[in-house]
Amino acid sequence: MSRLVGGEGLSRTHVENPLMRESLVDRDVLASTESERVFAMAPNVAVVSLGGRSIIDRGASALVPLRDEIVENHRKGQQIIVGVGTGVRGRHTLTIGLDLGIPVGGLAAVLGAVDEQNLRMVMSILAPYGGMHLIREFLGQLPMYLGSGMIPVSIGQPPYRFWEPPPEVGQHVPFNGPDVGLYHLAETIGARKMIFLKDVDGIYTDNPFRNPDAKRLPDRISVKELLAMDLPDLPIEPAALQLLQNARLVKELQIVNGLEPGNLTAALAGKEIGTIIHQ
Amino acid sequence: MRHGLPSPYEHSTLSERDIRTLVPTEPIRIRPDINLVKIGGQSILDRGRPAVYPLIDEIVACKDEHKMILTVGGGTRARHCYSIALELELPTGVLAALGASTPRQNAWMLQMLMAKHDAIFMVYEDIEKLPLYLRMGCLPIMTGMPPFDWWEKLPARGKGRIPPHRTDAGTFLTAEFLGARSLIFVKDEDGLYTADPKKDKDARLIPAATVNEVLDMDLGDLIIERIVLEYLKRARNVKQVQIVNGLKPGNLTRALAGEHVGTIIRAD
Repeated sequence: MSRLVGGEGLSRTHVENPLMRESLVDRDVLASTESERVFAMAPNVAVVSLGGRSIIDRGASALVPLRDEIVENHRKGQQIIVGVGTGVRGRHTLTIGLDLGIPVGGLAAVLGAVDEQNLRMVMSILAPYGGMHLIREFLGQLPMYLGSGMIPVSIGQPPYRFWEPPPEVGQHVPFNGPDVGLYHLAETIGARKMIFLKDVDGIYTDNPFRNPDAKRLPDRISVKELLAMDLPDLPIEPAALQLLQNARLVKELQIVNGLEPGNLTAALAGKEIGTIIHQ
Repeated sequence: MRHGLPSPYEHSTLSERDIRTLVPTEPIRIRPDINLVKIGGQSILDRGRPAVYPLIDEIVACKDEHKMILTVGGGTRARHCYSIALELELPTGVLAALGASTPRQNAWMLQMLMAKHDAIFMVYEDIEKLPLYLRMGCLPIMTGMPPFDWWEKLPARGKGRIPPHRTDAGTFLTAEFLGARSLIFVKDEDGLYTADPKKDKDARLIPAATVNEVLDMDLGDLIIERIVLEYLKRARNVKQVQIVNGLKPGNLTRALAGEHVGTIIRAD
């Protein structure tokens, strides 16, 4: 598998390999690369997302008890990556940005700055206990951070920025937000768990803050069932549900009320609280 | 308590449907004067000097009349690396990060060849300095790969594990963000065929088609990454792409002048 092939005159020089000369658009060639097994790089890590609007925007009353709970679990040996969402300043950014005519890639790029603010605040209050900024370019150093007892904190927004794909026709805001960014990180490293801390006890048939008749869904629900219900409002981004359908490693995600003390601890211990959406 | 700013989004999750009721203004075109030209990896660069040198001459001759950004594809070395990574069962996100290196090599080499013609290598972060580069008469060259790396989208289960966003998709998204004047893919065939003309002698050229027409043909292979078709349907700025044969002298020049020389795929 290391021979060079061709290259005379105008012809292409290939490196011999199973994909040589193949079109990487050909459906059959692509399908031949499928595998049930995918290698997990960080199988002991739990990725814990702090919702922007639901947790971080509430300030100290929500963040300080959660910080203490994260630290306590980390002290007991849990490997944790903390992620931060965007929240209301992101929504304000979108309002102004859309009014100014900023294209969707520009909106995605500027939204990340709000996550950075949230990251710096969360990282700062975790700093005495090992909290540190997980810089994307240094992801290769993750084993060192985890091995030396750090709590890496990551922004949620995925790095698509100016290259954010156009959303569906009729939609205007970036399709990919912090939920999918953090879940994607968990999926690529093959994390043990993906936990979203929000301000609701799980998924309801509608927004429970606005609709008193909203009903809790079952504790476990498949992503197919959930999408088939076509609910008017979800506490998780549709892009994260799309990833869940395609995931090869992290095949479920858990939505937990982070305002209730003990919930994160229970979820990290494997208790089925909140709503678990599975493949 | 929750600290809120007044905003129409204040009480909603961003996934909520009622945000669609907002009517935003049309997105602006950031650089409507610029042309995006993607030079194929396997199709052009891997052919070496006989393919690359004449193309460079043509680009240099056009560059004062047409502002452009060159992007570059990967090619055979990317395929070799994907093969090993697949054997190691590495995830798609890692494949995407690996796949980013080869087009960067190709972009670096093109920049060295064209430095005397004011070509500069542009990293993702440099895109905001584009106005300066253009004012200075530079020819920015960048990788075609989008910066997705570990966050590369996963193909649906059963459809393989090769990153779906490669250098065609990255170039498309760059053009869409900038609101570019035109988007030209320079490859080694006259355009889109009904099958791969390198393998099927009966393959017919399709000179022009809409995205839906191409999708309806349900072609097993395409000369352009499949996801580009999906994005072309949804894009707000890019309304068509042209695929031209860069092995035939003059094709790129004519395409930059707005002529139809290869296959044009339109949004509708």
